[in-house]
Amino acid sequence: MDIFLQQLANGLTIGSMFALVALGYTMVYGVMKLINFAHGDMVAASAFVGLTIYTQVMGQATSLAAVIIIFLLSALVMACVGVILERVAYRPLREAPRLSAVVSALGASLVIQNGIMLIWGPRMRIFPELVPQVYWDLGGVVISLIQVIILALSLILMVALYLFVEKTRMGAAIRASSIDQDAARLMGINVNSVIALIFIIGSSLGAVGGLFIGLYYRGITFNMGWQYGLYAFIAAILGGIGNIPGAMLGGMLLGLFNAFIAGYVSSTWADAFTFILLILILIVRPTGILGERVAEKV
Amino acid sequence: MKKTFRNIVLTLCTISLMAGLAWAGTLKVGVQAPITGSYANEGQGIENGVRLLASQINAKGGVLGQQIEVIACDDQGTAMAAAICAKDLVNKGVKMVIGSYTSTCAEAAQKTYFKAGVLQTSDGTADSLTEKGYWTFLRNSFPNSAEAEFVANYLVNVKKYKRIVVISDFSTYADGLANATEAAIKKLGGNVVSRDKIKADSQNFTPVLTNIKSKKPDAIFSAGYYSDGGLLRAQQVALGIKADFYGGDANDNPDFAKLAGSAATGAFIINVPEPAALPTPIAKSFIADYQQKYGEMPPSIWGLMNIDGMRAIIHAMEQNGNFDTKKAADYLHNLSTPLEGITGSIAFAKDGNRIGGAYVVKKIQKDGSYYNEYVQ
Repeated sequence: MDIFLQQLANGLTIGSMFALVALGYTMVYGVMKLINFAHGDMVAASAFVGLTIYTQVMGQATSLAAVIIIFLLSALVMACVGVILERVAYRPLREAPRLSAVVSALGASLVIQNGIMLIWGPRMRIFPELVPQVYWDLGGVVISLIQVIILALSLILMVALYLFVEKTRMGAAIRASSIDQDAARLMGINVNSVIALIFIIGSSLGAVGGLFIGLYYRGITFNMGWQYGLYAFIAAILGGIGNIPGAMLGGMLLGLFNAFIAGYVSSTWADAFTFILLILILIVRPTGILGERVAEKV
Repeated sequence: MKKTFRNIVLTLCTISLMAGLAWAGTLKVGVQAPITGSYANEGQGIENGVRLLASQINAKGGVLGQQIEVIACDDQGTAMAAAICAKDLVNKGVKMVIGSYTSTCAEAAQKTYFKAGVLQTSDGTADSLTEKGYWTFLRNSFPNSAEAEFVANYLVNVKKYKRIVVISDFSTYADGLANATEAAIKKLGGNVVSRDKIKADSQNFTPVLTNIKSKKPDAIFSAGYYSDGGLLRAQQVALGIKADFYGGDANDNPDFAKLAGSAATGAFIINVPEPAALPTPIAKSFIADYQQKYGEMPPSIWGLMNIDGMRAIIHAMEQNGNFDTKKAADYLHNLSTPLEGITGSIAFAKDGNRIGGAYVVKKIQKDGSYYNEYVQ
């Protein structure tokens, strides 16, 4: 039972990181019907941006305020990068065939990945220990402070995003654009602004995910975005791509699935099983878990 | 048209003539090392060291009157790139290749060098490297089996652990060291409660460690590299596993402690002594020159071992009075008295293994420094 609960805690931690990243994929897909393959590399970039802000801007301060500023600044920087990415790589291709946009996304992914390598170098960089290593032993199950922070902050962000999309006028504009862009335009919605907004939100959430990866695992490499991007992409499909609660659910489920496979079967088979799961979903339920129940996709 | 053709032929002739002259005038030394990638730190250390030694030798007039030309190839720590490097270096006409850092890369390149008769000296510690009967391969570090026996003896007889876990990734080196250690522990009557494998660079090791926790170990030996070892240590402490952590030689890197963060305190690392602790005058002067040229210490002793391999080969060529690689290998396989090296005395067994072994168990202190807990 101890092991089960421990794997549950592990799975929820990595699952919430997957979910944060998956939101970026799903929101962009919801409105633009485009898989933004560069998103994983944006996540990796945010970890490096956070590292640079820590060393250059904050002068290696480790107070709580400093950590909050690092998060906010990184999210701001990545939001700008996201908007620029959309302007440069996706907007010119909006009327082009779907394939052109996907190829452009793959190209953007490589540009960002190699950009990270050129700026920060090919070596693994070590993320500072910004969250003290504090642990609680709950009868055999050990929970660390960083796990609690990751889980809590992810849930807060996801609930906030859900409320934003469901309850505000801007959220309504996002939902309208995802159903029918032309009709939304006729209703006076500026679809370009909505898409920019989508990239701002998606990139900021991805930035938080990237910083979590840095804080939790400490070692960051220029090509790690590929791995996390792929997982998050699978999470988005699992939950039903284009569906915001679906991405959250998909991320959590994938994290748990991964932890339990690694724990009970073999850690070396975890990746293989994850992809088998992806194939099974695509065969059995191509719309994902929540893909059909919610009619309006975002 | 005819003129163009004539010009092309003339140009080609000139190029090949110049290339021939250049070839005749230099001794080409290849460096195959992970200059980028996860082990870039070590790879760059090897390249820097080779270039430093080459410039020192060149300043004294070269080898048998020939200047050394260093040709580096980046194998990125992957077997695929290593195989390409091997072909490339052989095509460029090198006489010897220094490296690579990882056993996997050294092994992937071995056959190419053997077929071309190019001497290869690597710090790769996998036992399999010297089991193929290639006369071209000279190991400049001590083989895994020497480390495995030391580790097993230390864990079972010195510290008397009752429940030992052995972890490795899938690389030639780590898997080989872990298997040899497991076998050696069992031979000494020790109890290995779990032998686990992790995927290198996968970062999330908590699922594996959670299973290990249920076996209630009192010692964990990680045979992999520092990039995984540091994370393993951090996640082990995070999960509340009280066992003592021992990292194999490839964990001896400053990044281990950085990755593990505050969890690094109390972890043990088993390795040959670090560069600063090397006692001989020849080591002290080379390290001082290295620091002066590059403004930092050599990243670890592994780069220096490769330098020792290069020094041994060049010494053999000078003694033989020619650049014949087979004769140089024969000379090194039959040394009557060991050579003085940066990392201790150098002598080779007939299979290309370096003879000897000198290990220390280092404990990581609160301030990140090492304390030598046990010296062989």
